[in-house]
Amino acid sequence: MHDRITALETEARASLESVATLSDLELWEQKYLGRKSALQGLLSELRDKSLEEKKTLGPLLNTLKRDLAGAAAASREAFIAAEEARQTAMIDVTAPGPKIPVGHLHPITRIEGEVADIFASLGFDFYDGPELETENHNFDSLNFPKDHPARDMQDTFWVKSPKKGERLVLRTHTSPGQVRYMQKHKPPFRVVVPGRVFRNEATDASHEHTFHQFECFMVDEAGKVSVATFKYIAATFFEAFFGTKVQVRLRPSFFPFTEPSFEFDISCVFCDRKGCGTCKQTGWMEIGGAGMIHQRVFEAVGYPRGKYQGFAWGFGLTRLAMIKYGIPDIRLFMGGDIRFLEQFS
Amino acid sequence: MKFSYQWLKELSGTKKTPEQLAKLLMMRAFEVESVERSGTELETLVIGEVVDLEKHPGADRLRIATVKIRRGETRQIVCGAPNIEVGQKVVVALPGTVLPGDFRIEEAKIRGMLSEGMICSEREIGLGDAHEGILVLPEDAPTGALFARHYGVSDAVLDINILPNRGSDALSYEGMAREIAALDGYAPRFEEKPKKRLRVPSYNRAPKTRLADKAGCLRYLGLHIKDISIAESPFWLRLKLHQAGLRPRNNAVDITNYLMLLSGQPIHAFDSDKIEGAVTVRRAKKNERLTLLDGRSLRLDPEDVVIADDKGALALAGVMGGKRSAVTDTTKNVFVEIAVFDAASIRKTKLRHNLPTDASYRFERGLDPNLPGTVADSAYQLFSTLAGGKLSGLRDIYPKPVRPARIKLSLQRVEDVLGVKIALFEVVQFLALLGLGVKKRANVKALDVTVPTRRPDLRDEWDLIEEIGRLYGFDRIPAAAPQPALALPARAASQHFRRDLKETLAASGFTEALTYSFYGADAVEAFSLKSGSHLELENPMSPDQAFLRQSLLPNLLQKAGENHRFFNDVALFEVGSAFAKNKKAEEKEKVAFLISAEAGAGTLEERFLAFKSHALRIFSRLGVRELAIVPLSDSSAAFHPFLEPSQSGHLVANPSGDIVGIIGCLKPGVRRRLDIAAHDVVLAECDLAALQAVQESVPHFRPLPRFPAVRRDISVAFPESVHVGTVEAAFWQVGAPLLTSLDLFDVYRKDGEKSLAFHLEFSLPERTLTMEEAEESFQKIARAATELGGAVRS
Repeated sequence: MHDRITALETEARASLESVATLSDLELWEQKYLGRKSALQGLLSELRDKSLEEKKTLGPLLNTLKRDLAGAAAASREAFIAAEEARQTAMIDVTAPGPKIPVGHLHPITRIEGEVADIFASLGFDFYDGPELETENHNFDSLNFPKDHPARDMQDTFWVKSPKKGERLVLRTHTSPGQVRYMQKHKPPFRVVVPGRVFRNEATDASHEHTFHQFECFMVDEAGKVSVATFKYIAATFFEAFFGTKVQVRLRPSFFPFTEPSFEFDISCVFCDRKGCGTCKQTGWMEIGGAGMIHQRVFEAVGYPRGKYQGFAWGFGLTRLAMIKYGIPDIRLFMGGDIRFLEQFS
Repeated sequence: MKFSYQWLKELSGTKKTPEQLAKLLMMRAFEVESVERSGTELETLVIGEVVDLEKHPGADRLRIATVKIRRGETRQIVCGAPNIEVGQKVVVALPGTVLPGDFRIEEAKIRGMLSEGMICSEREIGLGDAHEGILVLPEDAPTGALFARHYGVSDAVLDINILPNRGSDALSYEGMAREIAALDGYAPRFEEKPKKRLRVPSYNRAPKTRLADKAGCLRYLGLHIKDISIAESPFWLRLKLHQAGLRPRNNAVDITNYLMLLSGQPIHAFDSDKIEGAVTVRRAKKNERLTLLDGRSLRLDPEDVVIADDKGALALAGVMGGKRSAVTDTTKNVFVEIAVFDAASIRKTKLRHNLPTDASYRFERGLDPNLPGTVADSAYQLFSTLAGGKLSGLRDIYPKPVRPARIKLSLQRVEDVLGVKIALFEVVQFLALLGLGVKKRANVKALDVTVPTRRPDLRDEWDLIEEIGRLYGFDRIPAAAPQPALALPARAASQHFRRDLKETLAASGFTEALTYSFYGADAVEAFSLKSGSHLELENPMSPDQAFLRQSLLPNLLQKAGENHRFFNDVALFEVGSAFAKNKKAEEKEKVAFLISAEAGAGTLEERFLAFKSHALRIFSRLGVRELAIVPLSDSSAAFHPFLEPSQSGHLVANPSGDIVGIIGCLKPGVRRRLDIAAHDVVLAECDLAALQAVQESVPHFRPLPRFPAVRRDISVAFPESVHVGTVEAAFWQVGAPLLTSLDLFDVYRKDGEKSLAFHLEFSLPERTLTMEEAEESFQKIARAATELGGAVRS
């Protein structure tokens, strides 16, 4: 028995040495001091021993129990003190943390989101049209006469079609979205179509063959949507977008798919028409084209002539981004340079 | 078209300055690209009269002229011009004048004689090329007057952007003057003068003319004029052409150019003695050739409309005349063509032969077939007064005369479209100013409008409303809020998904780039793609943009490589359309994202697994949870030849098994081609519609577990070749339905083996599981592990 007690003590003390955490300590206490511990076993074996043996072994076991409990308590205090020290150790709050990569949304995506939110709050529906369009949707349905110089207004990328007889283009504007939407819906509706468009023209600081547009159109029975309505929607949109009072100016223009057609300018949001570098001292910023949807477009989608009326306008998201963020060179948008992209989170 | 302000002013009677005029046009009619002052250097030149002429005592060729420059004031000017004579009106540059080309006139002694200025030639003042002699002005030139002001030489040029639908009337001085007068609120000045009508002679000497192609030519009018003498045009005509930016040549050519500018009607003069037999308007014959005025020889297309005689083509109709029948200095008789050709045919011919000319520019926009009638009158008058010709014949073939269009205009429609009420008298006034006939219908709020044939762009009510709107002023229309029914916008789900996807990618450390939708044969080759499966552009900007992208990755990787100049580690993404050529042309929206990081820190497997975690976390955040990665098979690897097959897989939707995308590592060869060999590249590309199909857009509630789960761990040593995915799939299969959680928490590799340790959880939704039940399921899993070649450790 003496040997077993000595062995137990050696083992328990060695084990306590390797205890590294408070929860390990609890396990140790269970193992060496708990109800099912070896020590408890020895104590219960004592009952069957002679009085003589009880006299010598009893105190021995009790001392061991007291010593082990004491050691455990000391160990616990040490742990608590260490934890206390860890929790209160000085932290250099000015030191930098590890680098976590930060991602960024493209400025066009940001602008598109802002524009979409404004139109959504005005109750506009959203529609996605394809970038690869048929000649029919891009031109014919929009009343571009065949073999007419109006088609020269938009330098087109033509795509070799696998199907005979069908000519494909990369859409030169988001307007084919009007036709596609109207083919599936009946007025009244108000819709926006955002997207990437293509023009076959040389690239420089203010021209890109790939850029982004937003088409917006609203159709109802004749008399409910007029030029005056368009002016209201346009002004409301730009005031929300630039967060400042905006005047809309319409000038006569020509687009095959609208009649009447206008160019529209907004009062310069930087100088309030006093004249500045952004508006080239004119006080106005050219924003896009608009007009009342041509009855022949309605006819092309199967609406009866004269029954409906509506406006359509397109403007460049890229141009809005350039104005809003002060970006001087359009080529940056498609350049993929992270030093540019990371400026927009 | 560039317009001379002075000429427009003369025709329209406007009192506005060039800048005011530009502004008016911009707000009511056409965009004015620029207003440039011209001839400002000539403002100080005066008109003088040569009153005396003497020989220079020291030089044979020089003479000393006494020139009166105003009442009672003369100057002595030394002059070498051979054509100077007493009594001539001349242009005098007095000392201090600076002529074009920075040529300063000073008082000087020439061979000992004082010269107080200079008498100018055309070339010295930039009016023409003539410089052998001085410019002699018409006799009625007022002595002492400022030359530039009197003749309108100090001018402004307005570059006016004529809209494509107004080619018929506005590409001319008269048309533009009519527009300006209407905007000013007046009838134009030039229409006040009545014109003398042309009389057809009884003996018609014009060549017989035949219209063989009625589709290509709407009207063919030809004047035969005999006994003309080719000479220099008079001063006023040369001046007009100069104002319009054209160079005078000879009277015959100048008359045709002048009338085209004035009326918009292109005119061509043939030397009628060089026409053999009859004149025919027809399509070109196969392989027919024509030598043009400028000397170029063309092989004609059977669709080209030509003017031909018995020998062959004389002119490319509506585009350019031919050399054989051109008017020369010795021409005596001319056949003057004043015709209207079909717009689309001319446009095709122009494009086919790349021959944009002043004539084709007008014809392809469509001209009024009634215009040749009035222009013929003017042409005859000019040929007779300026070239001494006599009318000796006329042909006029006009199979389908065009009549003025009639349009019923409802006043209600005007208000409906413009959104503003415009008074009846104002509407009538606007239409009348534009030269339209207006009659009010009795008892109906409607007008009968007659549109002259020069305005084919006005075809219906809406066209008229545009005219009313712009004359009223679009800027005067007040904004008005619509009153639409309150309806919920059906925001496209794809819009939502795309936006969430982009935002989640950005929030996960990826930066959004946009790249072009095309790449070149180089990229196709670098990625071992097949050019035959790509859609191709017919007219690319350059060969490196000839193919529509099949994947977003080539261009995105290109950008990653470029960014390594400034960044060691790059994480990029793009959402956009990709295209493929199958039986049809296909377009699919895709998302591609990638990390290109400096090689070295960690193994490629660690990189891949970290990237995969990123990807699955992003998709899970979007509600796309049921995704698995399946290693590429040999056959599927062929579709993604740029991926290292042993390091890549398909992203597959559960349980449908539909492939939504790929994820993996680039082949070393591709990285070398892209100049990113020093970087580890992990990437993924998915089909947006396929991802969205797996999306659980509305979360579905599952009851919280009410009974405790039994937790067990298992550790199995497998050969390296066994995929974790295979093990997991087997465990799920045999563990069902009790196995509710499976979590690989440790991988330990040694001697070609890998030990996989999993936490397993077993439970039932309706009661507490017994130990025996859990043990039974656990044993099944252990057996499955053994069947896969594993050795169970615990």
